[in-house]
Amino acid sequence: MTKQNQNSGQAQQSSGQLSASFRDPSGFLFSRGGVLYRQVNRKYEQEYARLMESGLYEKLVKAGLLIPHVEVDQEPATSDSAGAVAHKIIQPERVPFISYPYEWSFGQLKDAALATLSIQRRALKVGMSLKDASAYNIQFVRGKPTLIDTLSFEIYKEGQPWVAYRQFCQHFLAPLALMSLRDVRLNQLLRVYIDGLPLDLASDLLPSKTRFNFGLLTNIHLHAGAQKKYSGAEVKSRAGTMSRQAIIGLIDGLDSAVRKLTWNPGGTEWGNYYDITNYSDAAFEHKKQLVREWSARMKPTLVWDLGANNGVFSRVAGEVGAYVVSSDIDPAAVEQNYRQIKEEKTENLLPLLLDLTNPSPSIGWANEERDSFGGRGPADMVLALALIHHLAISNNVPLPQLADFFAKTGKWLVIEFVPKADTQVQKLLVSREDIFPTYTRDGFEAAFKQRFKICEAVNVREAERVLYLMESL
Amino acid sequence: MHFAPLPYLDPGSGSFLIQLLIATLLGLGVAIRASWGTISKWFGVKPKAKTDEEDDEAESK
Repeated sequence: MTKQNQNSGQAQQSSGQLSASFRDPSGFLFSRGGVLYRQVNRKYEQEYARLMESGLYEKLVKAGLLIPHVEVDQEPATSDSAGAVAHKIIQPERVPFISYPYEWSFGQLKDAALATLSIQRRALKVGMSLKDASAYNIQFVRGKPTLIDTLSFEIYKEGQPWVAYRQFCQHFLAPLALMSLRDVRLNQLLRVYIDGLPLDLASDLLPSKTRFNFGLLTNIHLHAGAQKKYSGAEVKSRAGTMSRQAIIGLIDGLDSAVRKLTWNPGGTEWGNYYDITNYSDAAFEHKKQLVREWSARMKPTLVWDLGANNGVFSRVAGEVGAYVVSSDIDPAAVEQNYRQIKEEKTENLLPLLLDLTNPSPSIGWANEERDSFGGRGPADMVLALALIHHLAISNNVPLPQLADFFAKTGKWLVIEFVPKADTQVQKLLVSREDIFPTYTRDGFEAAFKQRFKICEAVNVREAERVLYLMESL
Repeated sequence: MHFAPLPYLDPGSGSFLIQLLIATLLGLGVAIRASWGTISKWFGVKPKAKTDEEDDEAESK
């Protein structure tokens, strides 16, 4: 139940402890001198030793399922009293960009669920078990879902149930089932319910045919019923214990229930956008060439491609070695993007589901547990290609406000101005009054000059569009 | 509820009971699969052991 901090602006306590890292008494994350550390408390000494000495750590890291760390010689995060509880300080590898389950496509959430189960199976083999199954403990590292909370393991005692079972169903199985069998947009419920979907709600929203699906009948519908019936009841130990085989059966059952859930992109907003635009191949190639050239010149470490569609230009920017967060509002585009990075084993690209007109807010306890999208920035370079007309015209955002937003978002801005004469803009105006007299090339430049230095402005070949490279003032 | 040590998150009474039910049921399957291997061995069929590496391959698909 922790998260990693990526920037110094993140909410911290005076000790440096991250505001999101408070729930687990085994230890916590803290930041010192811009470096992220995790304190392992004495309480967790035995479990930490088992993780490291059983070979589990090594196996999981090798499989890309657990974040690697090194033990470091650092003072504990807090003063004397807390110092006495510190066992070790470890420094985990830094995750380039923290993302949350409500920003993942179906395939990303599904792979995160399967990774969690795979980790649990491997842990059981060495007598350990995951004590939580929070989707927030999984991050995409080198393109793969990876557990970032090194202190998530406990010693498994024969007979003991899986304490994270409820959490797994709420964080993974329920949202996946709803996305697959009801509507893919229902993953947005995770933004409201930070500890996963209440199972009674999932049970109500799922189609009734899911009662004929063993995995969903038991793990969601009957589970929700049992929660209601036995709410607050004390369960006596005579209720039974779970054999090792039983817990393996449970994990295999969840695995099979998750694998059966599928969702295929199609019939969505920009599913075939590149086929229906007025782009010629020459214009498309010219845009690619400019993005390539400017990325190579500015050498950004972190690029945010906003309105990335399926990530064509993100890949171009990523060629220089930058880590690219490739976001789009369309679940199908993000899913296609994710499938492509999996297929091509791309390590430096993160597909992300994001509505720029209403980006992820800060949520959780004291509004500090999960960072807003803006709070995870700024980026070194922002790409805003074929985007501005959607924000300025469809969403009525005045150009000066757009300039303010982009200036806060990154140092370098590669932005495409799409004029009114463009057929894509004409489409947006076809059924409404044109209330945008300043939406012209001159108006755009005047607004952006208030916040940026315009370094380059290039007319895109065979198109009426202009591509700019700007530096924020 | 009977855990040693107590977990830091509440696993929920209902969640525990339903888990017990499902796990017992599916655990039977695991037991049968496991002994199926032993039975096969009596007939000289070598059971295929699943390794972590195979798990990795399965997951990367």
